[in-house]
Amino acid sequence: MEGGEKISYPLGIEQPATAASTDANGMATETRFKMPVDSDHKATEFWLFSFAKPHMRAFHLSWFSFFCCFVSTFAAPPLLPLIRDNLGLTATDIGNAGIASVSGAVFARLAMGTLTLVTTPAVYYTSVIRSANGFLLARFFTGFSLASFVSTQFWMSSMFSPPKVGIANGFAGGWGNLGGGATQLIMPLVYDLIHKIGSTNFTAWRIAFFIPGFMQTVSAILLLALGQDMPDGNFRKLQKAGDKPKDSFAKVFYHAVTNYRGWITALTYGYCFGVELTIDNIIAQYFYDRFSVNLRTAGIIAASFGLANIISRPGGGLLSDWLSDRFGMRGRLWGLWVMQTLGGIFCILLGKMGTLSSAIVVMILFSLFVQAACGLTFGVVPFISRRSLGLISGMTGGGGNVGAVVTQVIFFKGSKYLTEDGITYMGIMILCCTLLIILIHFPQWGSMLLPPKSGATAEDYYLAEWSEHERAKNYHISSIRFADNSVREGGRSQRGGSSHSKHTVPVDALPSRV
Amino acid sequence: CNLCESIHAVLYAGEDTITVTWSLDRTAVPAGGDAAYEKVKVLLCYAPVSQKDRGWRKTDDLLKKDKTCQFTVVEQPYSGATASANVTYRIKRDVPTATYFVRAYALDGSDTQVAYGQTTDAKKTANLFDIVAITGRHASLDIAAGCFSAFSIAVLIFFFFIEKRKVKK
Repeated sequence: MEGGEKISYPLGIEQPATAASTDANGMATETRFKMPVDSDHKATEFWLFSFAKPHMRAFHLSWFSFFCCFVSTFAAPPLLPLIRDNLGLTATDIGNAGIASVSGAVFARLAMGTLTLVTTPAVYYTSVIRSANGFLLARFFTGFSLASFVSTQFWMSSMFSPPKVGIANGFAGGWGNLGGGATQLIMPLVYDLIHKIGSTNFTAWRIAFFIPGFMQTVSAILLLALGQDMPDGNFRKLQKAGDKPKDSFAKVFYHAVTNYRGWITALTYGYCFGVELTIDNIIAQYFYDRFSVNLRTAGIIAASFGLANIISRPGGGLLSDWLSDRFGMRGRLWGLWVMQTLGGIFCILLGKMGTLSSAIVVMILFSLFVQAACGLTFGVVPFISRRSLGLISGMTGGGGNVGAVVTQVIFFKGSKYLTEDGITYMGIMILCCTLLIILIHFPQWGSMLLPPKSGATAEDYYLAEWSEHERAKNYHISSIRFADNSVREGGRSQRGGSSHSKHTVPVDALPSRV
Repeated sequence: CNLCESIHAVLYAGEDTITVTWSLDRTAVPAGGDAAYEKVKVLLCYAPVSQKDRGWRKTDDLLKKDKTCQFTVVEQPYSGATASANVTYRIKRDVPTATYFVRAYALDGSDTQVAYGQTTDAKKTANLFDIVAITGRHASLDIAAGCFSAFSIAVLIFFFFIEKRKVKK
């Protein structure tokens, strides 16, 4: 996986660095890829600092766009001390708007570029609001843009081969989430600058909102102009050419909602990512009010929470892959439980820290664990279902936002709880909900506490999603390929006698034993 | 009268002025008791109705943590037991919309509060006044926001149109 080894297949097909290949219709295509690709033309390597077209270019457009959505969605929190005085907001108003900012994305499923541009007017609208209601609406509609997370993950899984999807998703998600931290630095700085130039403070914050607005507009334009849906072109073109068969949405939906594991990851993601969103909303105001630091300092401290994403979330993804290599899926599940539980413990402690420096240290530790847990969650999610992967990812992502809504409603709305107590209780809730990971069981790989059922195979598990009728039509072929690629999830013991190498290998044609 | 308490004077930030007058209350302070007073600091303070559900304006008996009075009207040297002093203050443009009273603290050499007086009663319900803040909005901001929003939507429509054309080909 690391190192770009050339792999030879039993059928003698080598992986060319440039694919002057034939597509499914037997027509020669003149596509030339800078990166090594598999039979689906998905990249088999991940070059973080390259802009190679179309794969790495898609990655950079993707994370940057998502980053801008995060900047906009969380642009208000670091300026709250000003906005709350300008609009006469109460703690309840602030709480409601915080909830609204993360609830939009639960339902929205539009494609990235569209979503980013459609929500941009909401960002500009923030500059002209007059009341608590206006604030609520502005944050609600701006927050829809976070739904582009699902498109990011889907786009990465279209561009990158299975062994690299984890790392691509980890970096795209992590570097996108970075926006929630960067904004806490950017907004107070921009505000200070405008204020110094001469605007009065109640005007200066409004002007400051044009920055996230511009960023979103520009990133969306770049994405729509330079990006493409799939390695070979754009989705609709390929659908017309007959390359992408359509699946029945009803069936995909059924197999997603009846898989209990998807519901568990949706809930637990609410207590890592959801908690991250909640903290993005409340932490600047918390430090400003409790420790009496100024706006800029509160912003810097709040930013360091979100900025940890630059390594923590991808790190979680890498840790998941490493654990899987040694212990299989059970390793992934244990890793997720341990990291998320540690996150919960540090969250409890954060509310208890009474001095500025101890609070900052605990907050940073908390951020590392909770964000790594997000990365580890998406190390497990791709294996829950093959047929309904998109929907399960969407459910999990949506669950993250639901967790943020629920947590803010219970603990951070109005003046019922002091913010520091709310943070501690949130930590306790993380610990409780994370326990559900113990219940995730794969017959072929086991669970945290139970070993796999003897005789169960990955193939059985993934083929169970297709009916006899569908199998007769060979709709299930990609699931078989995926099942073979997931051999590694059985851990080293299951792999002992197999002739497959340590790395998952994308299988080109039908496996010889079928 | 019952209704009187809810009818307050309304002042506009950036435009109106307040004149505050203060002097030593000799019935409360014995002769020589004001020896430590060095400065007088006059502040605008939130009335309880404006503190409700706003923890960042909370009153705390520990003065270091107290957030009731957040805007300084004036800080000047103490003018002595017999004189009375006053100041005319134009309400600054960063004062938020709320209900207020005025409080004056006497500070000693180390800037510690040693005495105070205020324009309202102990329950902070009498003789309050309202300040209306500036909105911070400007016509130019409204226009700019409108233009950029329209531009974003136009760009989106443009790209949809282009993609539809590519597919047709």
